[in-house]
Amino acid sequence: MDLSLFAFGDTGWGDELAFGFLVTIAMAVSSYAIGTVFGLALSLLESRHGRVVSNLASGFGVLFRSVPELLVLFLVFYGATLALSGLLGLVGIESSIRIGPFAAGVVALSMVHAAYASEVFKGAMIAVPPGYLEASKALGMSPWLTFSKIKLPLALRYAFPGLTNLWMVMIKNTPLVSAIGVSDLIRQASRAGENTREYLAFFLAALAVYLVLSGVSLFAQEKGQARLFRHVSDQRA
Amino acid sequence: MMDIETFLRYLPNLLNGAWETAILTSFTLVFGLAIAIPVAICRLSRSWPLNAFGLAFVFFFRGAPLLVLLFLIYFGLADVPLIRETWAWTFFRDAYFCAIIALSLNSAGYLCEVIAGAVRAVPRGEVEAATVAGLAPIDVARLVIIPNAVRLGLRNYGNEIIFVIKGTSIASLVTIVELTRAANNIYFRTFDPFTPLIAAGVIYFVVIWTISRGIRALERNLTPQLRTQN
Repeated sequence: MDLSLFAFGDTGWGDELAFGFLVTIAMAVSSYAIGTVFGLALSLLESRHGRVVSNLASGFGVLFRSVPELLVLFLVFYGATLALSGLLGLVGIESSIRIGPFAAGVVALSMVHAAYASEVFKGAMIAVPPGYLEASKALGMSPWLTFSKIKLPLALRYAFPGLTNLWMVMIKNTPLVSAIGVSDLIRQASRAGENTREYLAFFLAALAVYLVLSGVSLFAQEKGQARLFRHVSDQRA
Repeated sequence: MMDIETFLRYLPNLLNGAWETAILTSFTLVFGLAIAIPVAICRLSRSWPLNAFGLAFVFFFRGAPLLVLLFLIYFGLADVPLIRETWAWTFFRDAYFCAIIALSLNSAGYLCEVIAGAVRAVPRGEVEAATVAGLAPIDVARLVIIPNAVRLGLRNYGNEIIFVIKGTSIASLVTIVELTRAANNIYFRTFDPFTPLIAAGVIYFVVIWTISRGIRALERNLTPQLRTQN
């Protein structure tokens, strides 16, 4: 393997790949953040509100867990601009907003992530010992206070392993956005491969990056879990 | 949003795509299982080199994004003289072959953990009892471990089937016209994104929903002792 292929500047592809790496990370982080919040909202809608809302929320989850991510990406990318101008047209606004590939990628990946995250949150909420909630009720805490001070902090702890697993899933889903034209790591590697006819070198390098990312995530998951469950560590040991 | 005329006109294309998806899925399930079983045995083995190999396999194929794996095999291996200039090239030049290999390896990474987990979950007492009763190791495996492990792993295996079906959509990026690609092609012909892509989504959804129901029914059938509990 010729290392000068990865040089920075005009002679190598190092800076192009680094840019792609940053796009990948930005894509993963923003989709993850939006999707997690959305997933939490979904799980709350599913558990607390009337039947219609609850069924809609669980239907969203089931649907987005059983359709390929790639199909969702294509639908959002091709359809979002049309749908948006159609909606704005209904209220009489002439729109020329185009939804670019990056935004479409974030929307699609975060919706898929939310569908899985809502399951994680649902399980985590159930795992909170009911005695804690009864105790806070008996102490006269309001439902909101019970939720925000007792239920949510504990549920977030129980959700942690599931959520970090989903972070690794997210990292592995980001290469899909290259199919709608986002210049992420894998698209940059393809471009470099096309130009130099050295596909193997560039895809191996990209693969190594993904493996390091997932290794670091696994490590962080273990450390984080040990820290979050310090208060029960003697019981678990 | 849905245009019934476009839908009816292109329905055969979508069904053809769905058929290709089914073929890709079937091959992947067979090869994935064929790779996963030996690796799962490595993961369960007490010898550390085998164990380390199993661990490395799992880390590698679960950490590598499916798309990267596929591109590496389809585009990358063409650079290797050993493959390009020998009989292996007749296989590796074929997008179908590469897609099935990538999907199977990826699936095997998850599947061997499913299998190893199911075997570990077999109650120890039953295995010990069978050994004490004088069963040969092969019979312990055949009569006690495998039937138990199949029951315990069935649900996770069902999830893995669903991931494989969803994963086959990635084959569309190396020229294979499966369901996602078929829907995409219709979009490029009609400039209507909603009808073909939503129709394809409905097909995926119906298939996956049916499979997950089927697996649940099978699980209920295989574990009659749990039926009264829920």
